[in-house]
Amino acid sequence: MNLTRLTAVLAGLLAALLLAPSARAQALDRAGLIANLCGNASAMGEAASVLTGLAMSGDAADRAFAVPLARAVIDRKLACDDAGAVLTENGLDAVTRQPRAAAGEPLTPVLSLKNRATYEQVDAALALRAAPEASQRAAALKTLERRPALIPEGLLEAAAAAEPDAGLKGEIETLAQTAALTAADPAARIRALARIADNPSRRALTQVSALTADPAYAASPEFRAAVDDATVRIGRGIAVGDVLATAYNGLSFASILFMAAIGLAIIFGLMGVINLAQGELIMIGAYVTWLVQQGLRVVAPSLLDWYLVLAIPVAFFVTAAIGIALEASLLRHLYKRPLMSLLATWAVSLFLMNLVRVVFGTQNLQFETPFYVTGGVPVIGDFIFTWNRMFAILFAVVTLALTWGLVRRTPFGLNIRAVTQNRDMAACIGIPTRRVDMMAFGLGSGLAGLAGLALSPIYSVNPQMGQNFIIDAFMVVVLGGVGTIAGTVVAALGIGQINVLIEPLWGAVAAKVIVLLMIIAFLQWRPEGLFAVKGRRK
Amino acid sequence: MNRFGLITHTAPIVHLITLIVLAALLMAGLAGTEFALSRYLANAIGQLAAFAVLAISLDLIWGYLGILSLGHGLFFALGGYLMAMYLLKHSFEITGTVPDFLQFMGWKEFPFYWDGFEFFPYALAAAVVMTTLISGLFGYVSFRSRVGGVYFAIITQALVYVAMLLMFRNDTGFGGNNGMTGFTVLFGWPMGTSGMITALAVASLLVLAGVLAGCNGLVKSRFGALMLATRDDETRLRTMGYETLRLKLIVWCLSALIAMLAGMLYVPQVGIINPRVLSPELSLEIAVWVAIGGRGHLVGAVIGALLVNAVKFWLSFAAPEIWPFILSGLIVLVVLVFPNGLMDLAKFKLVRPMGPKRLASDMGEARP
Repeated sequence: MNLTRLTAVLAGLLAALLLAPSARAQALDRAGLIANLCGNASAMGEAASVLTGLAMSGDAADRAFAVPLARAVIDRKLACDDAGAVLTENGLDAVTRQPRAAAGEPLTPVLSLKNRATYEQVDAALALRAAPEASQRAAALKTLERRPALIPEGLLEAAAAAEPDAGLKGEIETLAQTAALTAADPAARIRALARIADNPSRRALTQVSALTADPAYAASPEFRAAVDDATVRIGRGIAVGDVLATAYNGLSFASILFMAAIGLAIIFGLMGVINLAQGELIMIGAYVTWLVQQGLRVVAPSLLDWYLVLAIPVAFFVTAAIGIALEASLLRHLYKRPLMSLLATWAVSLFLMNLVRVVFGTQNLQFETPFYVTGGVPVIGDFIFTWNRMFAILFAVVTLALTWGLVRRTPFGLNIRAVTQNRDMAACIGIPTRRVDMMAFGLGSGLAGLAGLALSPIYSVNPQMGQNFIIDAFMVVVLGGVGTIAGTVVAALGIGQINVLIEPLWGAVAAKVIVLLMIIAFLQWRPEGLFAVKGRRK
Repeated sequence: MNRFGLITHTAPIVHLITLIVLAALLMAGLAGTEFALSRYLANAIGQLAAFAVLAISLDLIWGYLGILSLGHGLFFALGGYLMAMYLLKHSFEITGTVPDFLQFMGWKEFPFYWDGFEFFPYALAAAVVMTTLISGLFGYVSFRSRVGGVYFAIITQALVYVAMLLMFRNDTGFGGNNGMTGFTVLFGWPMGTSGMITALAVASLLVLAGVLAGCNGLVKSRFGALMLATRDDETRLRTMGYETLRLKLIVWCLSALIAMLAGMLYVPQVGIINPRVLSPELSLEIAVWVAIGGRGHLVGAVIGALLVNAVKFWLSFAAPEIWPFILSGLIVLVVLVFPNGLMDLAKFKLVRPMGPKRLASDMGEARP
């Protein structure tokens, strides 16, 4: 839950408390309320305001007590007698809610024309707060919508805060803004403006800027100041939200790039081989994730939501096994011929892509969306902190940490670094370079499989998907420099952010063109990439 | 220069050139008679000749200079697009039909940069200038910072990919994703007649023979010896005082121009150009033709292009599904068993994959 929203709700509640002190200050005088309902027009008006107060604040028990009353008055199902009143619908006493018969000559209170409208409104307000079914609350909302100016201030905010249904909650919030802005009381409108400005969004901006045409805008300087102030604040909020949203999208794109590129970078640094089949390994990682999901559906449906987690080892080991097989059968013979290894890995990529196409077909795979990657939290402006992107970011961070630990802190990593720096010398001191190559190729391929897994909640999964990332991933490797994790991270972040920054201005294609030109220009300055390993130029 | 090697080395290429010229003359002579080739076959021969020219252009820099470009489709497409612009503008002048893509965009007339394309000399000059500029600029910045090997291959691939994305846009005025088609007139003659098809095929064969002869002259010259030296040990050559940057740049631009020429021959024969010629797959396929035929042999490049494309033409009717599998199988076979492609077969020199002599035949790739 974010703070701005919370403060808005609190402010709404506070306003409600201030406006309806009688309802809150002491426990509800139930008998008095019923007496007023049976009284004359002004007493009934007083009762209506008490009921309104109950709808906004008051405790749940009192509200439940009040729910049938307004409806009973409207439908003339309230029989007033000497001992109070009876709800004729079910023959219960209006105060005690015990069954009793009406005493003496019961009178049915008659609503004045003015009060009738009020009671309709009160009934809807109570239903909105206390009705058990979402459909009933939605119907009540429709009733309230007809006369937004009459909705008591603070009611909708309180209702929205308590509303469990997300769709209905959004509708209530929209109505709350409209209602507050069209209120009759200028002070209430100004307060509403301040509240709306607390939750900036493009919708709010449209609403507020429409008010400049309102007669009050020209007539009242306070109102004009409030509108202008709200416009500025909302504008600022939207700008902040847009910046955050761009940064967030850039970060999530960068994590995907990083996941796709880190395996490439390790392999390239170690063996000077660019694996053109890396994109297809990503694709296979996504397909393995899908297969795990389908398997769980059959074997253990209760665990279905956790398929993304359970697929992690499977995706890693399947793609790592493919990578090791590829290394042992094909690339092993090509280390001295890196250009030929480009063609060979392209052949593998062609083969894998068409194999998957033949086996699974070309259509996009359908993935379940587990709860932990569903929805998001609106933060400010139009920036929504979505969980599926967060999943990709966290996944990339964890992968980064593990890869870093593996390369920096384990004997295997030490071997990888030694062979990367000087293959011949590493062989001289007894490091089994061929074995290191094979295992490192497996590691790089497994990381591609994990990238596929991380992609599956965000992008569409089909046999061609690898092609969309592979060239960007190459650019990350070229920019970052050979075989450095830090270079890969920085290059992925840079390329991801630049892409996302340029895209809204000139489009996705221009972003790619500009990024490529920047990389070519950058290589003029540092031909070995950002974080070149110091050493002799080969 | 190679007085003794002259006979053994140049014999196959002289044979090939003679064969191509004879085939061209035969086709021209038989045109209109009952022995003439079918329109489909004549057209296929013409397209294959254009692909062979494209393969030579890549072999020139990969086989003889050790620089692999995975973006040669860019220059092929450049020639193709400018040729298509000439064809469309020329057809429009004669027939008055507005091209589809203009109608599709709702434009009344050609954008300003189409001015002058109704003249073939202008279109040709534009193609030459554009190709030289783009390849020269890109080659200069790359070779100057000594970007080479895998880096260069990857960056050229990104270049052609970006160009493809750019041409897929409809607002560039080059036909967008539908490309350009509907060419009806070439040099004042109607297209699509069997006479025109034969003429185009014959022209392609003659150009192929000319390019082969020219490139053969180049690689056999002193300049060609420097190319091989650059490929095999650039550092040593530079130490001896040779300016390899200029040499690489010249060969690179020349190669781009030949690829452009292939594109100009190709487009009138297929009757369409669209951004798919810019896909990284096509550029990779060119490298595969050369690898299968044999790098560093002009004859090999031609035979590789002819063979692979002939199989592809045939399979695209017989069984389009299995073509990718056959292609990947061919590549693996060539890479593992015949590092010099069909040239190994020709010499009956089957190399063991891990043989110690393998490095000697790995031209220009001794260093990772």
